[in-house]
Amino acid sequence: MRRFSWFNATSIALGFAFLYIPILLLVIYSFNESKLVTVWGGWSTKWYASLLQNEGLLNAAWVTLRVAILSSTLATILGTLAAIVLVRAGRFPGRTLFSGLIFAPLVMPEVITGLSMLLLFVALNMDRGFWTVVIAHATFSMCFAAVVVQARLYDFDKSVEEAAMDLGATQIQTFLQVTLPIIAPSVISAWLLSFTLSLDDLVIASFATGPGATTLPMKIYSQVRLGVTPEINAISTIMIGLVTIGVLVASYSTKRASQQQERELKAVDAGAK
Amino acid sequence: MSEAALSSSPTGASRSPLRTAAPQSGFAPWKDPSKTPMVRFENVVKRFGDFVAVKDCTLDIYEREFFALLGPSGCGKTTLLRMLAGFEKPTSGRILVAGQDITELAPYDRPVNMMFQSYALFPHMTVEQNIGFGLKQDGMPKDQIAQRVEETMAMLELSKFGKRKPHQLSGGQQQRVALARAIAKKPRIVLLDEPLGALDKRLRQTAQFELMGIQERTGTTFIIVTHDQEEAMTVSSRIAVMDHGEFVQIATPGDIYEAPNSRYTANFIGDVNLFEGKVVNVAGGFAEIDWGPGLARFKAVAPEGCAGQQQVWLALRPEKIHIDLDKPTDASNALPGKVVDVGYLGSISHYHVELANGQRVKALRTNSSRTVDRPISWEDKVWLQWPAETGIVLAK
Repeated sequence: MRRFSWFNATSIALGFAFLYIPILLLVIYSFNESKLVTVWGGWSTKWYASLLQNEGLLNAAWVTLRVAILSSTLATILGTLAAIVLVRAGRFPGRTLFSGLIFAPLVMPEVITGLSMLLLFVALNMDRGFWTVVIAHATFSMCFAAVVVQARLYDFDKSVEEAAMDLGATQIQTFLQVTLPIIAPSVISAWLLSFTLSLDDLVIASFATGPGATTLPMKIYSQVRLGVTPEINAISTIMIGLVTIGVLVASYSTKRASQQQERELKAVDAGAK
Repeated sequence: MSEAALSSSPTGASRSPLRTAAPQSGFAPWKDPSKTPMVRFENVVKRFGDFVAVKDCTLDIYEREFFALLGPSGCGKTTLLRMLAGFEKPTSGRILVAGQDITELAPYDRPVNMMFQSYALFPHMTVEQNIGFGLKQDGMPKDQIAQRVEETMAMLELSKFGKRKPHQLSGGQQQRVALARAIAKKPRIVLLDEPLGALDKRLRQTAQFELMGIQERTGTTFIIVTHDQEEAMTVSSRIAVMDHGEFVQIATPGDIYEAPNSRYTANFIGDVNLFEGKVVNVAGGFAEIDWGPGLARFKAVAPEGCAGQQQVWLALRPEKIHIDLDKPTDASNALPGKVVDVGYLGSISHYHVELANGQRVKALRTNSSRTVDRPISWEDKVWLQWPAETGIVLAK
């Protein structure tokens, strides 16, 4: 590999600085002794301690976590089913439209998604609250889940499923015993991705929510309007940690799955020689 | 079916006087009209949109046969196999197994198991689990599954690899696992879709004999799809040569080689020299063929229904042509020519001989004496000769 020239090193440093200095500042200030957010008063973890006393924030965090778990589970199930239909069902009338409809929310402005969800809930006369947030989150993260699972299904040898059926497994048995275990890594990444998306969503949640179902991003946003407290920095740091872990695990499991697949392919190739 | 009807069908090899015994001589259930075929394709047609993959195929395959479907890619052989496995549904026609109509049955309800071209092993299961998968689906008790898996692994020399995953095996071992999985349920019919296509040549030859051994030991009906004519010749009791969704000829390997019914079969199986000509005279069972002005007429055994002025092709296998420097005195057919190419392969030599009219003829000669100097070389004037019984007169 070529060595970094000073120019390359500088541009990388600038790029990373641009991306991460704000976040780094937030993390550092979460350990600030001073009550004033912008004045450094020495190291302390007291805001993490006082965070544990702040019921409003903790409640919001708990709501967020439950919403994320439920909505990502729902999104993963729906997304996986959609991916299977798109990859396996071959050509059926309206297939292009169907796949377009599944992937459109990927590029849809969140405000529009949120507003349309709100209109739907109002039209259906649904009480807005915890469950409407779950549904709204599942709706927009489902398309991400579908993309992830679909990618794996495309390079999946269909004859493996045929072999299972040939040996006496019905379609459902084939799915549970053969297809699902093989695509499991991508299903897990899909879940983690949906989980992360739900965790940090503010816009759609604000539209879909109702009394008693304030998520953490919403709580933070509303508090910041009154002034940033170091507690917010602390909980934000925790969230950054969670999201980072989620993304790392997701990308690691995807990478491992593709490496495993490569090994299998190599083994087949080597055997053929 | 009458003899006349037979000779117009793809199975009409019986017209030839050069019948050869099948390798398993005595085993010929297709000649016994009282036998119920193990598999029967009845006027099966398969269309994919406008494309006709299989055109009105009727075929009987008998118990214990090792039957080969042979043809170039896209000839419909795999489609035929997949219809038998249940992955494709015939557009029209019926498929029967042991007299029972299975056309509407799902793949998991059919008494057939398939070995896939890609092996299609379950990557997340060990070799043992792969082989036992089908037995587990049938609800066989665990101890019996273990026993059957062990037996099957022993038969295919896989016992050492039971705990391994497919990606930890070599190609040859994966191929054996795929076969083991297909025979573990002791199905009535085993389907093999290009089973040895991924192996190198030497391994493939070993595997072919292994396949034959397994087939004989289990007494199962094997149906193999292949585009490799040597493979089909080696393993099978009968071969169906296919082209464009139709059977061109269905016969034993010996008949296919020695008595092809068309130029297509003659060309597809082995090497052949073809001469186009016209029948000018039929007498005493022999036909005289005029194949160009000023050229000595060929003499060959006349096929049934051969009449004067009919356009025919004389097919001649290279190894049946005798090549010599001197003019033969008492040959039925003799042609002068000039050697333009010699290919020395050790055991045999190929000669390409150019005739007076520019046509090139391939001839083989066994190098039976141990000399480096071969008597016939480039630019030599030679004579080709063969008896009248050797040439095959083809009408199509």
